[in-house]
Amino acid sequence: MSVRRGNGPGLRRSMFAAPYGLWMLIFTMAPIFIIVFYAFTIGGKPTLENFKLFLEPEFVGILTFSLWLAFLCTVICLVFGYPTALFLASRDLKRSAMMAVLFVIPMWMNFLLRTYAWMSLLEDTGLINRFLTFIGVGRKKLMYTENAVLFGLVYNFLPFMIFPIYSVLKRSDLHLEEAAQDLGANGWQVFLKVTLPLSLPGVVSGVSMVFMPAVTTFVIPRLLGGGSFMMFGDLIENQFLTTGDWNFGSALSLIMMALILISLGFLNNANPEGEEGALW
Amino acid sequence: MVEDFHLIELENVTKVFDGVNALSRINLYIRRREFVTLLGPSGCGKSTTLRLIGGFETPTEGRVLFEGADITNVPPYRRRVNTVFQKYALFPHLNVFDNIAFGLKIAKVSRADIKRRVGAMLELVGLVGYEKRSADALSGGQQQRVAIARALVNEPEVLLLDEPLGALDLRLRKDMQLELKNMQQRLGITFLYVTHDQEEALTMSDTIVVMRDGCIQQIGTPKSIYDEPKNAFVADFIGESNILDATMIKDERVLFCEREFACVDRGFGEMNPVDVVLRPEDIQVVAPDQGQLAGVVRSALFKGVHYEMIIDVGCALLKVHSTVMQPEGAQVGVSVVPFNIHIMRKYAAPCGGAA
Repeated sequence: MSVRRGNGPGLRRSMFAAPYGLWMLIFTMAPIFIIVFYAFTIGGKPTLENFKLFLEPEFVGILTFSLWLAFLCTVICLVFGYPTALFLASRDLKRSAMMAVLFVIPMWMNFLLRTYAWMSLLEDTGLINRFLTFIGVGRKKLMYTENAVLFGLVYNFLPFMIFPIYSVLKRSDLHLEEAAQDLGANGWQVFLKVTLPLSLPGVVSGVSMVFMPAVTTFVIPRLLGGGSFMMFGDLIENQFLTTGDWNFGSALSLIMMALILISLGFLNNANPEGEEGALW
Repeated sequence: MVEDFHLIELENVTKVFDGVNALSRINLYIRRREFVTLLGPSGCGKSTTLRLIGGFETPTEGRVLFEGADITNVPPYRRRVNTVFQKYALFPHLNVFDNIAFGLKIAKVSRADIKRRVGAMLELVGLVGYEKRSADALSGGQQQRVAIARALVNEPEVLLLDEPLGALDLRLRKDMQLELKNMQQRLGITFLYVTHDQEEALTMSDTIVVMRDGCIQQIGTPKSIYDEPKNAFVADFIGESNILDATMIKDERVLFCEREFACVDRGFGEMNPVDVVLRPEDIQVVAPDQGQLAGVVRSALFKGVHYEMIIDVGCALLKVHSTVMQPEGAQVGVSVVPFNIHIMRKYAAPCGGAA
């Protein structure tokens, strides 16, 4: 008796992805083609003017500022996130899974809501300034500063750094650390030579999960920066919704996509294991 | 080869995990250049003993001595012992060369020396040419060899091996047993080996330590443990055996299966309950009227070297090994010479039978 496979009538495995494939075609591929079309045309005529316009110092400046802020945000998230992940994954920690959940709970709340909450804390008459006045330090300008934007970015994206690293560390093999100790490595050497290199896939996916949304975000700089610190995401949004220049907006979107693809490729090269990155 | 110098000593070591005694007042010494095997079923405390010596656990009570100095609280990285872990624990992010060189690099050995010593190790374990391979890309047997090389390259005083051959197939395991034994003799390093495989222990060891429930049952050479097990547990664990309830009538006379037998053991008192151990290969199958006991063959299996028969002698089912097969249902007699009737005290408290 033989079982028919593959080319019989009935369902084939390759068909299971068809609904999503169709969805992708209509809502992802088609828009990308439209964007490409707009980016390389003005009034329906092919041109590179849209990209030339981007080279104006003002726009390059916004891109540089976005990249710089996203870079700072990623570094700060890594500096705070790695030790946190290490703590959460520690074997001596009782109920570490519950602790981990405590760290996710803020993510269950809509991030707009959280950002609005920070606005009322940071504003000139907000809770923090009232406290500063109360203890005699005096009122500080907190809202609508570069630091407020940076703070908002770090606050919102920190969990995305912690979790990939945490899940890699949590799965790490205790015996490898014991083997390193057995071979003469003290606590610090075990960390540098075994724990850290083996957690790199988590770091790589954490970095990409923080850096990319941080470059493209437009809500956080709008709310906490008050529009005076425009990031690349705001610029694109403005072209479509305020200025109505779809051609320039499309060109900017393509530049951003290219940047993301380049940085993804760069990160994947830096990842020694490749396939082990958590959450990706 | 074995020097009469106590390289490692455990003094009254007790280890408690979550209120349960993993080890109860263990006393043990290991001499330089000795091949010592800790043998016992899982959960008997053999791996815990190894981890105490490696420094991965600290005893709840008692002391660990190394060359006479107390190392109870010395961390693993400052002990002159190295471990071959059960699942090898090779570093997946390093290639074979860097795995073996790990300890030397930590010890800041010069580049040229590292190259020379790792090269010598690769030769010893037969993996020359595998330097650049990733540890993941090796077979189980090759990973095993890398793990051994990685430990031995540091020239430890003692090599600790935690069931190192457990994951290998039978053929490879037998080869590695011989190789390990050769390596140990050639290099003159003390080996402390943990296994639950009695045959492995008998083949390789100078000294076997039989453990059960966190207690040492018996310490001795393979031959003395096989020939003179201290209790029924040891007898049963080391090789196959028939264990029967018996009464010691007086010195050299024992009663079982409603018949008095001559034996060679003395000092078990008079009319005391004891265990009698009969090895399957020590029971002779004879004509029905010529045996000490009469019985019926219940089953007969071909085992390669011999036949294994189960013979019902009324009071017990005896496992018997013989090169001559008797068919199922055959009436036979069985007899045992006095020298092969082993008398043992009944196994009482967990540490009751300890040496």
